[in-house]
Amino acid sequence: MTTPLTVTRIGHSCHLVGFGATRVLTDPWFTTTATYYPGEPVASTVAALGHVDAVVVSHDHYDHCDLDALVDGGFDLGTPLLGPGTVTPIAAAKGFRDVRTIEAWQSEDVGDLTVTATPGRHGVHEVTFVIQAGGRTVFFGGDSLRIPEQDEIPRRFGAIDLALLPTNGLCIRPMNLQQVVMNAEQAAELAAVLRPALAIPHHYAFTSGRLGDRLITKSDRDPRHFAEAAARLAPGVAVRLVTPGTAVRLP
Amino acid sequence: MTTTVPAGSLRPTTTTRTTVDIPPVGAVEITVADRDRSQPFLLLHGGGGVATMAGFADLLAERTHSRVLLPTHPGFGTTPRPDALHAVADLARAYVALLDRLGLADVTVIGNSFGGWLAAEIALLGSPRVSGAVLIDAVGIQVDGHPMADVGAMTRAELAAHSWHDPTRAPAPPPGAAGPGPDLQALAAYSGPSMSDPTLLDRLRELHLPVHVIWGESDRIVDTAHARAYAGALPLARLTILPRTGHLPQLETPEELLGALLDD
Repeated sequence: MTTPLTVTRIGHSCHLVGFGATRVLTDPWFTTTATYYPGEPVASTVAALGHVDAVVVSHDHYDHCDLDALVDGGFDLGTPLLGPGTVTPIAAAKGFRDVRTIEAWQSEDVGDLTVTATPGRHGVHEVTFVIQAGGRTVFFGGDSLRIPEQDEIPRRFGAIDLALLPTNGLCIRPMNLQQVVMNAEQAAELAAVLRPALAIPHHYAFTSGRLGDRLITKSDRDPRHFAEAAARLAPGVAVRLVTPGTAVRLP
Repeated sequence: MTTTVPAGSLRPTTTTRTTVDIPPVGAVEITVADRDRSQPFLLLHGGGGVATMAGFADLLAERTHSRVLLPTHPGFGTTPRPDALHAVADLARAYVALLDRLGLADVTVIGNSFGGWLAAEIALLGSPRVSGAVLIDAVGIQVDGHPMADVGAMTRAELAAHSWHDPTRAPAPPPGAAGPGPDLQALAAYSGPSMSDPTLLDRLRELHLPVHVIWGESDRIVDTAHARAYAGALPLARLTILPRTGHLPQLETPEELLGALLDD
């Protein structure tokens, strides 16, 4: 019997992924500031998360690496935290006692889990992750750009059950509208390469506030664009648009 | 300084029980859960008083379908001003306290002239409720070689000539008005004789909020060198110069001002 695989999006790129009873938290974000709004309900407080076996953090931007919220919320700081070398010193400084640095193609085992960092690119150093346990494989795309190095992922890992993909194509206005996150079309292209049984988009509802959306960021907030692009470019991949708090059980 | 707060905590869902009366049925009690994620505006007038902003407040609310708050600064328009309230920074704190009281978030603070200076001070307070500021022909900074016009020494005609690109479009002053009225006294109380703060520009260099600086090209109260100085100091600024516009764009070219505010 295969290990049950479940995923519940908490909000933005923050998910709780369950491999049986083993639970992984991705890119934690539980707070807001004057210019960072989730743009969707945040489905859990830190205290309500329950037991977590590992935290993976793709990069050190506030809306993916809200470690202060974990600390303030009484999160168990003995929980293994995995991320690139730009994240783990921050986590250690905030009191996490079991931090593991992994860069692209490096792996760490946490109990039954194997977490491998995979290639990513963003405005700052970023990795993506392949998380495996009990014969199930999940790709977590953080808020990376689509880069050719990601084509290697299916060759190394074979069948992928679930891909969690950013889709808003975020552009930074003060940087001449430089794109820093893959857009819906590029996420669909990546889905065609990874060929997961199910793809769930994330990282699309976020806003910078009324003026910030005009002066700082530009993004596509409609997740249907990913569903439409995936239907064209990755017709074998099931897509589900998931609001925060909805528990998805994979077959 | 960036203040983080738990997601959803700035505007919690409020549930109230309201009784309405519909004859002949009578009283009906309704329980309503109210979620508000609207993006309000706080609109701050200048030394000319709240009347210089009221028309634009209507336009802004109608065209953006937004909540627009237009306070009268204490001491203006016959409202009371406590003797201890005479610093711009304190007035700014009063407005942030108002936003706390009203439970608003993602507030864009817009101010003209003195109100622009006030908007900058509000932005500097780091409230998580304030997501951006718009400075329209703001006073408050000192720019070498570009002194602010001495408005206190001007006749009304001179003031209009300095404030309007086309002074013939200025509304006629109320008859019999002479000498400094209460609004000018309140303005002087807040802004002091120089109507500026020599520390403001340097403090703005650390501000990590988006700020839109909008200026009338023909402003002769504070000329466009002030606009460039503000925009140059602010890390996340956009500068828009409005042609054929003086110190009071919301009165002289309100549609152009609104368009600049809403441009993507």
